[in-house]
This record gives sequence, structure tokens and C-alpha cells, in this order.
Amino acid sequence: MTALNERDSALTRRTKPARPGQSRRPHGSLLLFLFPAVALVGVLLILPFLFTIYRSFFRDNGFSRSWVGLENYTTLLTDDIFVRSVLNTGMWTAGTLLLPVLLGLLIAVGTNSVRWGPIARFAIVLPYALSGAVTALLWNFMLQTDGATNALLSALGLSALERPWLLEWPMNTIVMIIATTWQATGASMILFLVGLQAIPAETIEAGRVDGAGGFRLFRSIVLPQLRPISVVVVGISLVNSLKTFDIVWLLTRGGPGTSSETLALTMYRQTFTLSRYGYGAAVAVILTVIVLVASWTYLRRQLRAN
Amino acid sequence: MSATTRSTTTITRRTALRMAGGVGAAAILPACARGTLTRAAPGDDVTLNNDNPTWAPGFEAAGEVLHATTGHGFAIRAVPDVSSYQQIVRMSAQTDSTTDLVKWWNGYRLQDVARAEIFADLTAAWDQAERNGWVDPSLRDSFSYDGRPYAIPLYQSYYAVFYSQSAYQRLGLEVPQDWDEFIANAQALRDGGVTPIASGGVDSWESLIWFQQLLIGLDPDFYAALTDGQASYTDDTAQEAMAIWVDMYEQELFSPPDTQVTELPGRFAEGSVGMNLHGAWNTNAFVQAGMDEDTFGLFLLPAVASTAPHAVVTESGALAVTVNAHKRSAAMDVAGAWLDTDVQRAWVGFLSDLSANPAALPPVQPVRDLATQVEQTSPVLATRYWEASPPVLVEGNVEELSAFMAEPTLAMAQATLRRMQERAEAEWDRWLL
Repeated sequence: MTALNERDSALTRRTKPARPGQSRRPHGSLLLFLFPAVALVGVLLILPFLFTIYRSFFRDNGFSRSWVGLENYTTLLTDDIFVRSVLNTGMWTAGTLLLPVLLGLLIAVGTNSVRWGPIARFAIVLPYALSGAVTALLWNFMLQTDGATNALLSALGLSALERPWLLEWPMNTIVMIIATTWQATGASMILFLVGLQAIPAETIEAGRVDGAGGFRLFRSIVLPQLRPISVVVVGISLVNSLKTFDIVWLLTRGGPGTSSETLALTMYRQTFTLSRYGYGAAVAVILTVIVLVASWTYLRRQLRAN
Repeated sequence: MSATTRSTTTITRRTALRMAGGVGAAAILPACARGTLTRAAPGDDVTLNNDNPTWAPGFEAAGEVLHATTGHGFAIRAVPDVSSYQQIVRMSAQTDSTTDLVKWWNGYRLQDVARAEIFADLTAAWDQAERNGWVDPSLRDSFSYDGRPYAIPLYQSYYAVFYSQSAYQRLGLEVPQDWDEFIANAQALRDGGVTPIASGGVDSWESLIWFQQLLIGLDPDFYAALTDGQASYTDDTAQEAMAIWVDMYEQELFSPPDTQVTELPGRFAEGSVGMNLHGAWNTNAFVQAGMDEDTFGLFLLPAVASTAPHAVVTESGALAVTVNAHKRSAAMDVAGAWLDTDVQRAWVGFLSDLSANPAALPPVQPVRDLATQVEQTSPVLATRYWEASPPVLVEGNVEELSAFMAEPTLAMAQATLRRMQERAEAEWDRWLL
């Protein structure tokens, strides 16, 4: 015990941070090491963001600019397209948190210790190797009204189930979430597998010795120990879902009309298609605030709980 | 090797590396600042930026003829994404990092940027073209802002019906002479198991094609007034046009609205699609697929109302000279000679479409036949909807029309027109600010 105390004390001495003013040398070198990262984030992230906030107070078509105060924000809040865009982004967030994360966890747990596990995992991971554009092309081929899905349904005598999959809201958003699930589940699964393999075998054995098995073993022994990796997987999925752009752009361009637009698409359309830089900047600011608040709230809760 | 020698070698290497790094940075940084897209072309050539990389051989062919007459050819730059292209031109044209010439659009899209004074006045080029009979003077207005032209026509395309020769021949159909015959042909194609009219647009600008066509088919004057903000989208003529469109959908005369125009050459060849209303510039896709007049033909769509005059929608790309061009004088010379008959023959020979210069015809029979039809019927020329109103209004309304195509009912048609009118009121106010 005394030896342990001595070791703890030595560790504390070694890792205790220097007080300000106590020693300038370590403090200065710390700043030096921090500088490149801080400078990069500052120049490439913070400054452009501050400039975006500034631009959002102007009516700006790229040639002329006039101060309008909060008009862009008040217009946004009464704009049906923006409200639909927020709703779609909410659907993407719920869908992406529910499907790829949950499926990734279930597949990782289900295939972790079975003989055919590597083959199943390979099949799930394979779509993750495809780029977003290729995924969109593939699903476009399947989901067009004259596409493979409807042709298959017709061939099977299930014509009643044929749909214009990408032409009706909310069906178009739902099928695009499914397409994303097909691609993204592999990434979640890999992360959960890493988490599973980091669980000490002794804890599983101890659970088994105590009579736990099946779902009880998973719920009481495995799941709690997957918590750190779950925080990462859910955090990444949350941010990815809030900035969903590529697959929607490539499959429906946000349409028909603007029915399947997400906030990222609204921002892009306003800025780069309509050349309304001030209005687009206001959407960007709101999207950034939503992403920051959601990530900060989630990570704060989870890290505090840990 | 002594320690001193090692030390000297190290310092020398470092110095050499520093010098190499410095020289590299000096070479790279200005290049980054200027970008390969917007650097001046070497020699006597002028740079031309456009949004269609596949046009490069056509520009080069025209450039060779231009070089013989003006001493300047083209160095082609291209940005394939239209949105990115527009942003690059809008931003770079305000600086000295711009190409000498840019492809743009006519009508309100040209006015939108011309009023920011980024394009040069091309009055001299137009005067020269009109003197030489290279262009119809009536086109000048749609290339002008505040009474001065700021671009010249890049091409002159008409919206006409592409039809499948094999489908028409199999069902014994003839080119329609009036609207009733056109509808009868579509019905015959439908009854013969052929998709009568391919019509995409649920996720693209193409949703405007049938809207503009039905409006000019009913009353070209109303279309002109509507696109100029002098008439309402909820007026009777617009309601009637939408009702006809709905009726055609109810008769199952259209393909699903997510049909891609890129599929058409193949489907025409197999005879599974009968017709497609599109800009004649799409002929190039058919020609590239190895098709000729035995596979497809082109005809002007007859007016919908028996009392309406012949009318056709036209689309003209625009060629502009930037105010900050590196070689502005050379670019002005090139713009002045662009509509020269020999230059245009080289250009449309590649493009397989028509030129604003009526003497330059492409070696593609369906397009030559179309030119003859235009000459014989002298239709009222209507500017394509894309360029006929302020850009933000058009972009928003095209999305409304795309949504309508996904749900083509009368109730949706009325809601669509109402929303289009609301947007028109707001956007005309902004445009006139």
C-alpha cells in the first residue's frame, strides 16, 4: 500500500502541470507546439466563420452589398422551404442515428465470434469503400421510376408496390436514408468491432460464471463497456447527418421542387445557384449553430457521464 | 571524413534545401494566386472559359479559322459544373484573374451581370455582324442591357420535337401539321406500346420546356408579357396551359418525369420512345451516338390554339468579353469575327446545331430540315424561359414546375401557378431595386 502511494505520488509529481509564472520554459514551448494547430483552425475555420456571420447581415449578390441587419434571419424563419429543410434535416438525423448505428452495433456483436463472421463483415463493409457519388449513381439506377426496383417488383407480379420512389415526399427522404444506411453501416460496425475486441475477456467470463448469457450478458456486461466507442460512433453520425449533402444532391437535387432539401442543400442553392450570398450565409450560420449545439450538448453529457 | 567536413556538408545541404524550397515557393505561390484557369494564354491566343468541356474540339476548329482572319485563336478553359462556373465568372471577372472571353447566357442572365459592368460593350462587333448580314438584328435586344449589347450569340438553337423514325414508321405516322394531329400521333404511339413523349425535368431545368411551349402555343404575346412581369401567372392563359399539360399527363402521353435525356438516343434507336421536345442542340448527342436522319427527325411543334401564330422558343448561348481581360483588344477582334460565316461553319460543323448566322448550316440533315421549316414558317421567336425573366425568379419557378411534374394534377397546377406568381411579385420588386 505504501509502495503504491509512493508510486502515485511520483506520478502526480511528474504529470502535475506547471503553474503560470512558475516556469516559463515549458509554457513557452507548449505554445510553440500549439501554434500550428491553433493557427490552422483560426485561419481556416474561425476567421471564415466570423466573416460568414458578418456577411449574413447583408443583401449581397456578389457585385453589390447593402446592410439589412437581421432581415435574412427573419425571412428564413418565415420561409416554408427553410422550415421543410429543417424538418428533412431532423429526419436525416433521426434516421442516421437509428439505422446505421443500431445496425452496425447489432452486426458487430452478431458476427464477432462466429465462424462466418469475417465474410458477413466483408459484405457489410464493402459499400463503405464506394464513394458517395458512385453510391448515388447505383441507387439512382434502382430508384428511378423506370429503374431496377420497380422492374423487379413488376417481374415478381408485385406491381401494386411500384412507387415513384424519389418523386414523393417523405418517401424520397426515407429511401435516401436507407441508401446512406447501406453505405455507412460498415463504418459503424468497424468501430464497434474495435470496441468489442477491446473488452477484456475476463469480464465476459466473469459474467458467464455468474450465470449471465445471451441478451443479459450483452446488456449488462458488453454494452456498458462499449460506451466510449458508442460516444464516438454516435457523435460522428450526428455531425454527418446534420451536414448531409452529396447523396441528396446527386439523387434528387433537393427536389421535386425543394421537397427533399436539407439545410446544407438550402445553403448551397441560395449561395451558389441563386447568388444570394447573404441569405446563404444566414443558413450556414444557423446550420453551424445547430451542429455545434447538438455536438456540444451530446459530448458534454456523455463525457461527463464517463 | 572529419567532423569539420561533415558539419560543412550538412550546412551546405541545408542551404541548398532552403534555396530550393525558396525557389519552389516563389514559383508555386504566384501560380496558386493566379490559377491555371485564368492565366493569360501564351502567344497570340485568347482564353475562353465555358461550362461545357465537350465543346473544346468545336472551339478549336473555330479558333483555327479565327486565327487566319484575326491572328488570334482560342485557349479553352472549362468548368463542367454550371453553378461553379457561374460563381467563378462572377467573382473572377471583377479581378485581373479572368479569362479574356466567357460563355454566358442572354436575356436577363446577361443583364444580371452586365449591370455590374464586368463585360465590355460589343456595339462595334454587332454593327460589323449586322453590316455583313451575319445575324438577324432583331436578336440584338436579348443581348443588350440599357441599350448596349454586351455579348454576341454563341449559337441559335430552337426548341423542336425530336421523333423516332422507327417508331413513326412502324405505326405509319406522319409529321403532324396541327396540334390535333400531334396529340393523335402521341395517342397512337401510346396505344402501340411506345412511350409517346419523353419528358424529364423533375430534378432539372427541363421542367420549363413544356410550360413555355404550351404558353407560346396558346399566345406568344402573353408569354412575352408574363416573362416581362406585365402579366400574372394566375391569368387565364397560364391556367389553360397548365390544364392542357395535366390533360396530357392524364392521357398518359408523357414518360415518368425522372427520365434522363441522355437515354434518348438509345431509346429512339430501339423505337421505345416516340418523341421528345428539346433544344435542337441535343442533336449532338444523337450524332455522337452514330445516328442520322434514318433514325430521328425534327419538327416544329404546331400552335396549340388554332388562332395563335407560329411560334418557337429559341436559346442562344452568349459570348462576352470581360472588362478586365488580359488581351482585351484581341478578344474584341475575336468577338467581332465570331459570327463570320466561315468561323460559324467550323463551329456548327462540330456542334450539329444552328448558328445565329443563317448561312452557316451544320452537315446534319434533321437540323438543316429544321432550319428550312423555320425559314418557311417565319415563327414568332420567344426567348427561352431560363433567360426570359430575372434568374432568381426563374430558378425558383423551375423548381415549382419540377414539383408539379411529380404530381401533375389540376389542384397542384393551380397551387403551382399561385406560388409562381407570389415569387414573381417578390422577385420583380428585388430586380427593380
